[in-house]
Amino acid sequence: VAGTAWIPGAPILDGIAIGVPWLAAALLTVSHRHARIVGLMASLVSVAAGALLLLASPPDESLYQALMLLFCCLTAGATLVLPKRDCESRAIGGILFLLGATLLAYSSGDLIVFLAGWILSTVPFLVESWFRARSWRPAMSLWLSNLALAGAIGLIYETGHAFSIDALRGRSPGGTVAFGLLVLAVIFRKGISPAHAWVADAAETGPSIPTALLLNGHLGALLVAKLILPLFPRTAGNLFPLLSWLAMATAIYVAVRALTENSPRRLLAFLTLSQSACILAGLESRTSEGITGALVHWFVVTVSTTGLFGILRLLEVRFGETLTASGYLGLAGHAPRLAVFFAVFGLALVGLPGTLSFCSQDLLIHGTLLSHPVTGVMLPIATAMNAVTIFRLFARLFLGRRRTGFTHMADALPRERWTLAAGVLFVVLGGLFPNLIVAQRSAEADRVEAAANPAAPAP
Amino acid sequence: MTPGVIFCLLALTWLMGLTPSERVVSRITGLTFTACLLALLPLLSALAADGGPPVVVTFGNWFSVHDYRFPLVLMADRLSLPFLTMTLVLSGLIGQFSATYLHRESGFFRFFALLHLFSFGSLLAFAAGSFDLLIGGWELVGITSVLLIAFFDQRPAPVENGLRVFAVYRSCDIGLLVAVFAMHNWTGHASFAGAMPKLAGAQATAVCLFLLLAAAGKAAQIPFSGWLPRAMEGPTPSSAIFYGAISIHAGAYLLLRIQPLLAESWMASICVIAIGAATAVYGTIAGRASADAKTSLAFASLTQVGVVFVEIGFGLRWVAVAHILGHALVRTLQFLRAPSMLHDYHRMHSAIGGEISPTGRHLEDLIPERMRLWLYRWALDRGHLDTILDRWFIYPLLQLSRLFSRLDNIGRFARAERQAEPPVSMRRPAGQGVE
Repeated sequence: VAGTAWIPGAPILDGIAIGVPWLAAALLTVSHRHARIVGLMASLVSVAAGALLLLASPPDESLYQALMLLFCCLTAGATLVLPKRDCESRAIGGILFLLGATLLAYSSGDLIVFLAGWILSTVPFLVESWFRARSWRPAMSLWLSNLALAGAIGLIYETGHAFSIDALRGRSPGGTVAFGLLVLAVIFRKGISPAHAWVADAAETGPSIPTALLLNGHLGALLVAKLILPLFPRTAGNLFPLLSWLAMATAIYVAVRALTENSPRRLLAFLTLSQSACILAGLESRTSEGITGALVHWFVVTVSTTGLFGILRLLEVRFGETLTASGYLGLAGHAPRLAVFFAVFGLALVGLPGTLSFCSQDLLIHGTLLSHPVTGVMLPIATAMNAVTIFRLFARLFLGRRRTGFTHMADALPRERWTLAAGVLFVVLGGLFPNLIVAQRSAEADRVEAAANPAAPAP
Repeated sequence: MTPGVIFCLLALTWLMGLTPSERVVSRITGLTFTACLLALLPLLSALAADGGPPVVVTFGNWFSVHDYRFPLVLMADRLSLPFLTMTLVLSGLIGQFSATYLHRESGFFRFFALLHLFSFGSLLAFAAGSFDLLIGGWELVGITSVLLIAFFDQRPAPVENGLRVFAVYRSCDIGLLVAVFAMHNWTGHASFAGAMPKLAGAQATAVCLFLLLAAAGKAAQIPFSGWLPRAMEGPTPSSAIFYGAISIHAGAYLLLRIQPLLAESWMASICVIAIGAATAVYGTIAGRASADAKTSLAFASLTQVGVVFVEIGFGLRWVAVAHILGHALVRTLQFLRAPSMLHDYHRMHSAIGGEISPTGRHLEDLIPERMRLWLYRWALDRGHLDTILDRWFIYPLLQLSRLFSRLDNIGRFARAERQAEPPVSMRRPAGQGVE
């Protein structure tokens, strides 16, 4: 890219973006002081490295760089929003470890490195002293996804004799069995039905903000875009609609399931799951509109759901861990700004005009209806139900008679307010000027589409 | 754009911790709508004088992916201009009325911010030159409508009713989304700034029926009429502008916009007439058993909008437009006078020296007494529409959700019972406030 000769090479920047968070995580195991500052600084270094990587990459090859930058920003935001109660060195260390591992998976061009990133990103959620949930299902699903991916990559190497993704492109190494194992890895990691229950369990019985980061790495969708579509274009053409169908069924299933759920954390997990499944359906649509919509929606879901989980956690530390949506809590009277942030993030998730998700949903619906008219109709239905659910959750948490019996409760503190405002600005400005994001994702979508349809002429 | 910009400025001001005084907010509102109305005058005079061609302003594509484009096209023609003018006039009037009516109300600022957002949404929907853009305005009208129904959020009823209305809106909007997709797929565009997408036969019928679903939801036509009385929980000025004037007629506007397509499909036209006629009959019967002023007015609105649908179905385009304008203005006045309705009646009774005889009594007398009693019960339960919707749609959906919940919970707590120590973020007792 012209004018970017001064930027160091990609391996150096990748190394900085991945290595610095891990170094900081190691530092926090030794020294427990100033955990938030250490976490913020490490993630800001990653943000800078990610930004330089994005700047130096050509427009149609910048998907993973953009995702890296997004995840770095998300982590920086998370370390700022994390309530003091949760801001222990172990928690920050775990978040930084997750950041490094996720970036490793994003930046990899090699199967072994990708596998390492995939497995390492699950480690904090498998270890008792970090973020392991009290329910058994999250750990089990993550283990199964790790095993499935490891098995698939073993099989691919056995038949393809290479670990480089470029060298294996279009060769369908390992055949249907490897393809099936990769799909299984996606199903377990993304929580596609029938393996969806772990996501709600993790959100409810684990720490909410780190769990949101784990879910919003979207490594399952990354596996589809990075490995399945390029490596198995023909097999994907024949069998992949099954995954699309499962994704849409998941979107509908969890949207219906959420209608009677009263645990706010589980509700948010269901919403995340439903909208994430739409990303998968868009990727599978193998149309430019659908893939572009999926990539843009990836950004929207990531920012919005992390914001929602963050706000919920802030409410929990203020008003009690046992918040429930079974009655009206009237928290808007105490925390009006948190209420507005929650409403904007929530509505941004379900396609409010003027937010980025309006564009992503428009493209997703168009793309999925174009490729699969029957399953495509499920997408607006799922989104409509999700909209009702998010409004119900907002109403139950924030509206109703103002609760009494508290001493003064602070609304969003400055560090929380400005971090959440940055997220809101992203989804709103992105919605007002979507072409800045859509055009770039469209160029990347062409590459994904070309990888998925090698016989099709270039658009 | 101006109301949208004002909404953004008000929201930003509030986020920065500043809340403008009531006087400032009402002055800004008055100025905004006056300026917008003045800006509309040249267009009005140009189009009204010689009935010239529509004025189309293109801002390029909002976003595009290869052949799929989301055009930013605004259009003023002889159909949209009356609606634009009505929106600006009534929004300005409601703003002035509310400055007094909501004086010292805790939600004063919120009401005005939402009024601006609603006006922006309505103007966008009526000035849109494509169905894509119309969806944007349409959705904004819906969400502001719901937020204003839940305006008095200290009571559960307005919030519950807002949620119900939101569910109906979003369900019916699926029709709009699918119709727009079908237009793109079959004709390559969904713009009507040049000419309507050319469709005929089954395709025209399918698109019209999907759009009718959206229009019926927004206009509270049968079988979605149950939400309208619930929407009366909002403050009177918002009821006036939404359900007496603008939002309730948005569905009719959509049908007027697709009139050329409706003309291609006799089946869709018959559906429009049937739904409109059924709603008109339902509205007049249910309205007669309503005990409160706003609900009676809501049913009266419903009746008139039903008649408008019938007119549209018969292709009487300009009759429908005139009907909408007249109805919107009169109904807004009635809604705004609703809080002092008893006082008005007492004055009228004093003036005429007795009570006004209720209208339609001679028609009631034609019906056998048993039938009248049955109709009375039917009207009291508002045509059982909500009951049917609850029993045949919502209740089974919730049952299904509970079934899914039971399935999900199988084995859920197996490990939780064995483990005593909570994870990192949950190791302090609850409810001790911010640290």
